[in-house]
Amino acid sequence: MPEAWTGFSYIVTNLARFIRPGEVTFSGVNSTPPMLACLLAKRAYDFGFTWINVAGGVQPTPSRIPISSSDPVLSEGSAAIFANEDFYDLCTRGGMDLCFLGAAQVDGLGRTNVSVIGDWHRPKVRLPGGGGGAVMLPTARRAVTWRTEHSKRALVGKLDFVTAAGGMHGVVTPVAVFVKRDGRLALQSWHPEASLEEVRERTGFAFDADGAVPTAAPTARESAALRALDPQGRFESDAKVALR
Amino acid sequence: MTVTSPKIVSLAEMAARVTDGASLALGGSFLHRGPFAFVRELIRQGRRNLEIVKQSPGYDLDILCRAGCVGKARAGIVAMEGNFGLAPWYRRAVEKGEIVLEEHACMTLTAGLRAAAFGIPFQPVGGVHGSDLAALNQWASVRDPYGSGRDVWVIPAIRPDIAVIHANEASPEGDTRIYGTFNWDRIMTRAARRVFVVAEKLEPLESFRERPELTLVPGFMVEAVAVVPRGAWPGSCWPLYEVDYPAVERYMDTAGSLAEHMAESPETAEAAHA
Repeated sequence: MPEAWTGFSYIVTNLARFIRPGEVTFSGVNSTPPMLACLLAKRAYDFGFTWINVAGGVQPTPSRIPISSSDPVLSEGSAAIFANEDFYDLCTRGGMDLCFLGAAQVDGLGRTNVSVIGDWHRPKVRLPGGGGGAVMLPTARRAVTWRTEHSKRALVGKLDFVTAAGGMHGVVTPVAVFVKRDGRLALQSWHPEASLEEVRERTGFAFDADGAVPTAAPTARESAALRALDPQGRFESDAKVALR
Repeated sequence: MTVTSPKIVSLAEMAARVTDGASLALGGSFLHRGPFAFVRELIRQGRRNLEIVKQSPGYDLDILCRAGCVGKARAGIVAMEGNFGLAPWYRRAVEKGEIVLEEHACMTLTAGLRAAAFGIPFQPVGGVHGSDLAALNQWASVRDPYGSGRDVWVIPAIRPDIAVIHANEASPEGDTRIYGTFNWDRIMTRAARRVFVVAEKLEPLESFRERPELTLVPGFMVEAVAVVPRGAWPGSCWPLYEVDYPAVERYMDTAGSLAEHMAESPETAEAAHA
């Protein structure tokens, strides 16, 4: 019997599935799922890739998995410190193959808002703000984001503010994986316990679902890697990801 | 080690050199290696209307907002990070209009600092295309004067009055070493008019001369050094100590008071034993 998904394993594992052989892949601040995805890919996949992170790490071998995805332990075992200016400059000159970036709202073009809910000048909720997106999203070769909630307030028809344009290559939620096709987000697969109808109902933008299928179950190696990274389920309980 | 040098000052003396309304670039990132003891000393001294410049502030900007010390923030991404989410007192201060926010991407703020460091009025930056941040901040773009046809966004210079960084080691002359990532500290120290260093400990000048390539900031650029062990608490200082998560949880607990949190700080304990 294949392994079952949890909302949390669905997000982390499907983020990891965007990582490709030989590429430079970056994980940043406030980004626990991508940090775990990079660590998972190192354990579960046979190919090599260059993992760099916001703690200055280049192919690090951290002795523990930190709560904070910018913890300096993520440069442990690294042979270089590749600090903030360096990885941004690498990105803007076209050397970042895959960049994981956070988002509060995503629209059908894969643009993001991490600035504000409501009017920028009269905010209902002041969000963390610009961060990497405005510079990295348009310049990374591919950027991928995630939301721990799949709803019309997260996947919106219209962003309250366009913090970053350029368009996500991929978006992972607890029930769906979107990939950019012809400049718009298209559904690639859905959680096998959800349905195409449910994803449509809970998404604020229209999307193409040609060829979309239920997401393949986690492999034994993917599941084992995630269990090894989170043996007590601490990250899973912190993330509070629910299917619905 | 007992060393005297005109650059070595107490934390209180260092903070007293900051005037109300000053622009401060603060080193580190989120809960990691920030000059947090220095920030708490600004609060004790009742500083007001400060401008805080930092790509990824968190606890530092939040506690300064909580104490009413901030006039303006120029920042990329503001959060407590770890598993703590948004920075609550900062968020409230912006939502109530109590502080002015200049929202950046981390790299546009850095471009402004680079302009100041290079001694030029503005600095091109990659990306930004399609972002509402450009119109919001009235940034200009320029067409490549060498004919590629590409448009590049340019960010005006950002020159803080003082860069304050937390470092592992300083010499009595102000030479400064950081272990692990130095985040944005290097460009901050080049962009600011003055540089203050809070160090975990002093090391002799000879040890810096033996390995000059490990020095991030040369002493001639540093005006003052304060030695404050555990001064990045409740954050981390690699490789000496990790984030004190229970202390951050207590800080975030709205049932607790700012005074209780301040009383927990290592520099308070140090002063009590002095």
